[in-house]
Amino acid sequence: MRYFARRLAHAVLLLLGISVFSFALLQLAPGDFFSSLQLNPQISSRTVEALRSQYGLDKPLPVRYGSWLHSVLKGDLGTSFAYNSPVAPLLALRARNTLLLTGTATLLAWLLAIPLGIWSAAHRGEWGDRMGGVMTSTLLTVPDLVLFLALLLLAVRTGWFPTGGMISAEFNDLNFWSKVKDLANHLLLPSLGLALATLPPLVRHIRSAMIEVLDSPFIRAARAHGIAERRVLLRYALPVAANPLISLLGFSIATMLSAGLLVEVILSWPGIGPLLVDAILSKDTYVVVGTVMLSSVFLVAGNLFADMLLFAADPRIRME
Amino acid sequence: MTHRRKLAAALVFLAGFYCLVLFAGFFVPYDFAAQNREMPFAPPSALHFVDAQGKFHARPFIYSAQDASQEATPSDANTQRPYPIHFFVRGSHYKIAGLFTSNVHLFGVDDPGQILLMGSDAYGRDQFSRFLYGGQISMLAGLIAALFSVSLGTIVGGIAGYYGGWIDEILMRGSELFLALPWLYLLFAVRAALPLRISQWQVFLLLVAIMGLIGWARPARLIRGVVLSAKQRNFVTAARGFGASDAYLLRKHVLPQTYGVLLTQMTLLIPQYVLAEVTLTFLGLGVGEPMPSWGALLSSLQQYSVLSSYWWMFLPALLLIPLFLVFYTAADALQELHKSVPL
Amino acid sequence: MIPAHSGPHANPSSNPSQPLLRVTGLCKQFVQRRNFSRQQFSVNAFENVTLQLFRGRTLALVGESGAGKSTLARCIALLERPSEGTIALDGTDLLALDTKGLFPIRRRIQLIFQDPASALNPQLTACETIAEPLAIQNVSTKKERHERALQLMDQVGLGPAAAQKRPFEFSGGQRQRLAIARALALEPDVLVLDESLSALDALNRDLILQLLADLQAVRSLAYLYVSHDLRLVSQFADEVVVMYQGRIVEQKKTRELFAHPAHFHTRELLATVHSVESILRERSA
Repeated sequence: MRYFARRLAHAVLLLLGISVFSFALLQLAPGDFFSSLQLNPQISSRTVEALRSQYGLDKPLPVRYGSWLHSVLKGDLGTSFAYNSPVAPLLALRARNTLLLTGTATLLAWLLAIPLGIWSAAHRGEWGDRMGGVMTSTLLTVPDLVLFLALLLLAVRTGWFPTGGMISAEFNDLNFWSKVKDLANHLLLPSLGLALATLPPLVRHIRSAMIEVLDSPFIRAARAHGIAERRVLLRYALPVAANPLISLLGFSIATMLSAGLLVEVILSWPGIGPLLVDAILSKDTYVVVGTVMLSSVFLVAGNLFADMLLFAADPRIRME
Repeated sequence: MTHRRKLAAALVFLAGFYCLVLFAGFFVPYDFAAQNREMPFAPPSALHFVDAQGKFHARPFIYSAQDASQEATPSDANTQRPYPIHFFVRGSHYKIAGLFTSNVHLFGVDDPGQILLMGSDAYGRDQFSRFLYGGQISMLAGLIAALFSVSLGTIVGGIAGYYGGWIDEILMRGSELFLALPWLYLLFAVRAALPLRISQWQVFLLLVAIMGLIGWARPARLIRGVVLSAKQRNFVTAARGFGASDAYLLRKHVLPQTYGVLLTQMTLLIPQYVLAEVTLTFLGLGVGEPMPSWGALLSSLQQYSVLSSYWWMFLPALLLIPLFLVFYTAADALQELHKSVPL
Repeated sequence: MIPAHSGPHANPSSNPSQPLLRVTGLCKQFVQRRNFSRQQFSVNAFENVTLQLFRGRTLALVGESGAGKSTLARCIALLERPSEGTIALDGTDLLALDTKGLFPIRRRIQLIFQDPASALNPQLTACETIAEPLAIQNVSTKKERHERALQLMDQVGLGPAAAQKRPFEFSGGQRQRLAIARALALEPDVLVLDESLSALDALNRDLILQLLADLQAVRSLAYLYVSHDLRLVSQFADEVVVMYQGRIVEQKKTRELFAHPAHFHTRELLATVHSVESILRERSA
């Protein structure tokens, strides 16, 4: 329990630091949302000032941060200037979409990586392993941007996949199963792209973890006892190799988030990525800060989750 | 191929590419902002050696570019005028490294012909020229930002590792904070803090500075590790026994141990930062028009019409792949060499 | 041409019967704290150590591994700071000096490590390694330092061809010679040897022992040899100090120690030695 408490306290401190940091950065900007309005001669500066005051932009910094943090903890993330609506529900909706995408992509990535990694480890040095290695390296070399653009190109040229969006125009008219199919159809390309982008390091780590385990004496003993190779791999080696892979899960969340932003923008998936980009372009301060905070929360939560998994899986940590 | 050879080959390639990019003005036929409104989205010029009459020419030539909306019929080929390619031609003026001016270009064709090795974009600008000029922006941004990150990381990691104690504790907690942040989001957030309409150079420098500031954490931790272990080596203790000061020890014994790590970090960070700059500009948050950052070249691909009809606009993306391959090869080779250094 | 002893603070007429280095009541404590708790607990590396080193004589410090010997060696060589006690060199209290005051004194006491490979910077050549202490202490010019380094290499039996080689190109025995040459560069009066022979094979051990003996005879060096190997030490030590659990439990001339061991730990250590009689016979020969 002390372990949890420590990790939790650590996470909270981290988040606090992040909130200060992101808020501070934004305030360094000269000019704000209403500066462009000020350039318009038809709008009097008094109106602009009134608008500023209305949105609370004229108070000193620490006060703004303090009141902002206070509201955040109450669940209020401020107001979006561009959408003229509260940030929290806006973020919540987009966050749901992002989670759907990243969740699917993570599942897909691991589903692909585990068999590939195990197979490569089992056939270490043979041509199969080398081919796998080449493919992984190639995938690693292709920049995410290029990969996602290529997928978009594929969708556009072949028409096999929808080229963007989360649902079709007729979504609401469809029955339940068709709705599910429609969603899955739209989900396929972005999650595949995201999975491919994060696949190479996963495969590498799984492969090396498996190799390390396969070299150990107890595996040799198992083989010597005549246990079938597949059973050796799956029931003996894999559970032991799972340990370092669990912490990998936590780390892969970070890369997933960054890559996820890009895939959402390119393939027009309505997640927090496009929201952030638009908010930056329109200097919608509270949306930007809220988004950065939210993604950091995801990250920290992901790491905490990985820590807990590790705790459950590895008795050595429980001994501390 | 041995690792040494791989590394050498990679470094030669990179040096060559940087040279190409540095002297972009010479290697490309046109200025990156030169527009030709009559030739939007023209496909790449095909090089011919045999003309319509079946005659072979040693000097390659092109036919005048067709507007993509027009259809080329076989009969047109006969009435088109061939433009032979000349080498070392005089064209528009350009600056080398901001100092020297010249107007000699490696190759070109006579007006009004246009040689478009990679086609043209919506404004009729030569993509090939823009690609090499774009390298100046993207590659340079990557290099400077990486240098910045690594230097900052070395200073922080060096201090933390060498002095230990509470300084180490604070600095490492700080680095944890930076590593915990999703870097792309952070980059965006900081970019958001900058006014949108500032001069190109300012954007470039600020972008580079921010990228460098965000990325110091990982190099710092690595350097700290090296410094920690170097500090405890007996030859450092021996030097202290001769009366060496901390500064001397750091300079002569500890820091030289970090060179291997530094180099590897550089080869890994430069492509990352190049990509970061390209991504930012792609999304409209980086260096703006008419600067031909690679991101700007690719940003038109977000339009459906471009993606479906004009395949050559994708070429800059494809050309990035071998470049990154070379960087990663160099990094891999460095890591392997570093491992086998005799102690 | 082997130079006569001529260090900057040496007293040419110093009485060889007076101790050169006097260590009194030396203690070293390590304090550790558990994370986030107030509890502190201290570990004594060694306590109340008193001994003396004389010119031209070898004192051996013997005890089992982990008895605090290495820490003591480092404290005496001024590489670590003890918690209590004094170290006096020719009467000067060294621990009372600040960094600046200590700077010239460092020339007079040098440490030879157990593992020469770790004690030599793999990136420096042999010549640079030996010249380094001279450079740090700002002795003469670069050219003269280079000359001196070559001289020293000659004295320890390394030819001039080895000057540009790097540590990994040498064998273990040669590396230790290199380390000795480096330690001699500043013409110290005291050499502390921290198990310096245990990493060597028997042949090299004998060769280095011979070298050390020659150097001691010519330069009147005082040696402090720290070891766990009583048999080895018996071959060259004049006096032996036995440590047990951080304390000195016995201190005698070598022959007397072997003849009449008083403390039970001494007897334990002796029991690991092959044959006491054969050693006594060697010593009396």
